Formats: sequence, structure tokens, C-alpha cells
Amino acid sequence: MMWLSGGFVFRRGDSPYHRLDPRVKLLISALMFVSTLLVRSFYELLAVIAVMVAVAAVATVLKRVGRTMVLTATFSAFIFVINIVFTRNLESSVLYAVRFVAIVVSTSLFFITTSPDELEQVMKTFRLPRDVVFAFVTAVRFIPVMMLDTIQIMDAQKSRGLELEKGNIFRRVRNMIPVLIPLVVNSVVRSGELAEAMESRAYGAVPRPTSLVQYKSSVTDKVVALAALALFIAGAYSFYYILPVQLP
Amino acid sequence: MADMLEIDRLSFRYPEAPREAVSGFDLRIPQGEIVVLAGPSGCGKSTLLRTVNGLIPHMYSGDYAGDVRVGGASVKGSDMRDLSQKVGFLFQNPENQIFMFTVERDVAFGLENIGVPRDEMRERVDEALRLLGISDLAQRAPHELSDGQKQRVALAGVLAMKPSLVILDEPTSLLDPMTAGDLVALVAKLRKDLGTTFVVVEHRLDLLVKVADRLVVMSEGKKVLEGTPRDILFGDDAERYGVATPAVTQLQKMLARRGLATTGTLLTPGELAAELKGRNR
Ligand SMILES: Nc1ncnc2c1ncn2[C@@H]1O[C@H](COP(=O)(O)OP(=O)(O)OP(=O)(O)O)[C@@H](O)[C@H]1O
Ligand SMILES: [Mg+2]
Repeated sequence: MMWLSGGFVFRRGDSPYHRLDPRVKLLISALMFVSTLLVRSFYELLAVIAVMVAVAAVATVLKRVGRTMVLTATFSAFIFVINIVFTRNLESSVLYAVRFVAIVVSTSLFFITTSPDELEQVMKTFRLPRDVVFAFVTAVRFIPVMMLDTIQIMDAQKSRGLELEKGNIFRRVRNMIPVLIPLVVNSVVRSGELAEAMESRAYGAVPRPTSLVQYKSSVTDKVVALAALALFIAGAYSFYYILPVQLP
Repeated sequence: MADMLEIDRLSFRYPEAPREAVSGFDLRIPQGEIVVLAGPSGCGKSTLLRTVNGLIPHMYSGDYAGDVRVGGASVKGSDMRDLSQKVGFLFQNPENQIFMFTVERDVAFGLENIGVPRDEMRERVDEALRLLGISDLAQRAPHELSDGQKQRVALAGVLAMKPSLVILDEPTSLLDPMTAGDLVALVAKLRKDLGTTFVVVEHRLDLLVKVADRLVVMSEGKKVLEGTPRDILFGDDAERYGVATPAVTQLQKMLARRGLATTGTLLTPGELAAELKGRNR
């Protein structure tokens, strides 16, 4: 849970990177993601990671990205061990392990710098159905509410003598039932009330609803997007045609 | 001119329910009135409100008889798009009527849904935020707001639709007394400035008697009392239907019984103070 919220949940920031058009941020993350898959050597991968660190620095999220890297590294160690056992190839095993970290970081960079509002905008540009976009928006909107609900219910049940931290794994899972039931009931009541409120405010009244905010790409956005593409192409070109590396 | 709200012989039964939640209900509310609806839990208050903004019969099915008209137009015959612009509904729990991730986007929600052009929408959103004194919260996320602030955001979203009738279902039940008082003052101000008509379901009568023109008491789906708050609270039937009389009213009744105050009908501390002062002179 902590790993997820540290690595993937948006927190408000005020860096030039945060201010980019969300679609440009998506492009940059996608290019970094693809790059990690294209590289054939550890050194190339290091170059890609260096770019990620640079992006994280511009976005002033170095600390969070660092923490995500450390946490994913534990999974990576696992990947490394399995690889080395089966392939007995040190370089490719290292490559796979580090590649995993890089993939997580490239994805995480997008999510921690893009607000749910911007995510919605991105989904709209892909022309996803309004119901899908709206379901996503409300899901994100209610994450903090549900978390608070859970904590309150857990506290209430603990004060009535429920022991959540005792016993073996099966006992613990069974002890969660008195927490889960009120949580489910709460959510059902909540979704009923949400449906009423949506209906009362004309949800679905017209086929093409308008939007209060309009995201427009600025010149900076376009320049950054082109620069990112250029860097990607130049990198791919030099990796494949200039630098002498054999496939691992 | 027709009254703002006209309810004629309305009955409604939820599917599978043993009896009608609202039965044979009549009510007329002229434009600009503030009407308080009271009655014990389960007597059908929320159900009645749903029939006013169209959730019944457009979202809830069931046995529907009689007629409800808002501004002369039948609720049954209108669609939610029209109704959402005539009737604003503020629900009890503000949390569950805020959908978007920023306050201003949420206030715009209804306007987006009915396809209001962006420039006009911007104006209406800003105006609603200003009206409720929450312009500085425009970029906040819902989880960064207090309950009172959430309530205002929800109300701003309702008012941005420019409804002529606003219904509030127990709007103060989650608020502390001071925030609740602010909300009631706001209702009075909106009525004065915009001529908005209000129907408020409320148990805290001591807050609302100051501004309410009329009190309607329900019991088991029927209207049992209707009149000015003064007439009803000093009548003999109020307590029978579990209407909680304001403390000042109770005090004044006690004083009157001992000959310490007039047998007048006082509803607010101010009125009682003035009364006692007059006696001492
Ligand atoms: N969605 C529903 N489906 C079926 N029955 C319902 C539904 N909502 C309410 N009822 C029933 O209709 C009756 C009136 O309920 P309603 O919610 O209108 O009462 P209320 O006066 O608003 O009560 P409260 O003060 O507790 O909010 C109750 O018997 C209730 O159980
Ligand atoms: Mg109710």
C-alpha cells in the first residue's frame, strides 16, 4: 500500500514538469518505457536511467523516485536470482533486474506528476466513453474517503475488542471480516447516494457534455515533445548503429 | 401566476413496499417562500423531496399517483435535463455529491452535463463560488475541505444551475451549530437576493424558525399539520407528532404557566429577552 501511494499517487507540485501538458508527460513516460525495452546492454540502460533521474530532478520528485527505486529493487533482486539460476548469464540477469526498476520508474514519473483532472483530460483525448472516464474519476476521487472509512471502522472494531494484529495468517484474514462488512455496506450506501446526486445534476442529459477547462498545448509543450522525440530517435540510432554492442 | 410548487393528491409506493411512503399529499408553495418540512424518521420526507426534483419517477420506479408541478410544469412530464435547472437538490451528506477532483470542476459538473458553453459556464461557476464565499477554494481537492466547506461546494454546484426552487434534505445534520447557523443565514440571503424558493427538511427548528414562512409536519406519508411556525409550535398538536419545539418556546410556555411572561408566542431568544425587559419596566 505504502509502496503504491509513494510511487504512484499524485501529489500537488509546482515544477515546470508538473505544468507540462499531461499528454506530453505521457509521451515522455512512454518513450522512456519503450527505451528500457529497446536497450541491449547495461550501459545503454544506465543512459536511459540517467534521463529518468534528470526528469525526476526537473519535476522535483527525486526523493520519491529514489524511494520507489529502492523499494522496487527488492523485487528486482528476486528477478535477478531467478534469471541467474536459469540463464547463468550475469550481464543479462543484471539487465533484466535493472530494467524492471526502470520500467516502474518511467510509469511512476507519469502518475506522480499528473493530477486526476489531467488524467481525465488524457482519457478524453483517447476518446474513451464518458461513463468510463467518469467511473475512473470518481474512483480516484473516493480513494482518500475509502481509506479514512477503513481506518475509522478498524478503530471502531478494535475498540470493541477486535484483534487485528494477532494470530496466524488465516486468523488475521478472518478477523478482517468485521471490518470488510461495514466497509462494503458503506460503499453500497455511498454509491446509491452518488447515483441520486449524479442524476439530480443531469448526468448523461446531453450526448456531448461541455467542459469547464480546456487544456491547450503551449509552444513550450510542443518544443518539449519534439525534443523528447528527437532524443529518443537519436538515442535509438546511436545504440543500434554507432555503438558496438552485441546482444546479450 | 401558478405557485412555484404544486403537489396534488400525490401518492407513491416503492416497489415491493407494504405501504405508501407518501400518501394523498397536497401542498402549494408560492415563489420566494421558505418552507420547513418536519416529521419523524421514515415518515416520507425524503421520498416527497424526490418527487419534487424528479428522481421519482424518473430514477425510482413504483406506484405513482397524483401530480407534482414545478413552475406550472409537470415533473412527470419533464426530463431530468429540464428539472435539474429548475430544482436544485442538496443532499444530507455533502461527501457523496462531490464527484470531481477540484472544487471548480465539481461546481461545473451539472453545467457540463447540460452542455453550457465554456465562457458562460466559467461565469456561472465563478458567480456561484462568490455567492458562497468559497472563491479561494476553487482549486482544492474535496479531501482537503472541512464538512462545512464541502457543504458549500455542494450547494455552489446546485446554485450554478440557477434553480428557482432549492430543496435541502437535513442540510445541517452533519454541521456544528455555528456552521449550521451560517447555512441558515445563507438560505435567508439567497431568498432575499434571488427570490429563490426553499423546501428544507430539518429537525433543528430553533435555527430555522427565524427564517421559515411555513412549517409542514408529516406523519406516515401524510401531511398532518401546516401553518406558520408560530401557530404550529404553540398549537397543541406539535408534540404529538414529535416536533421538537425550540428551547425558547418551551421556556416561554413554562414562564407563562407561572405567570412570569405573557402568553404571547415567542420563538427566538431575542423575542423572549425583549418581552422580559418590557415586563421589568
Ligand atoms: N429506495 C427505497 N426503496 C424502498 N423503500 C424506501 C426507499 N427509500 C425509503 N423507503 C421507505 O419509504 C419510507 C419513507 O422513507 P423516507 O426516506 O422518505 O423517510 P424520511 O422521512 O426521509 O426519514 P428520515 O428522517 O430517516 O430521513 C420508509 O418506510 C422507508 O423505509
Ligand atoms: Mg430522509
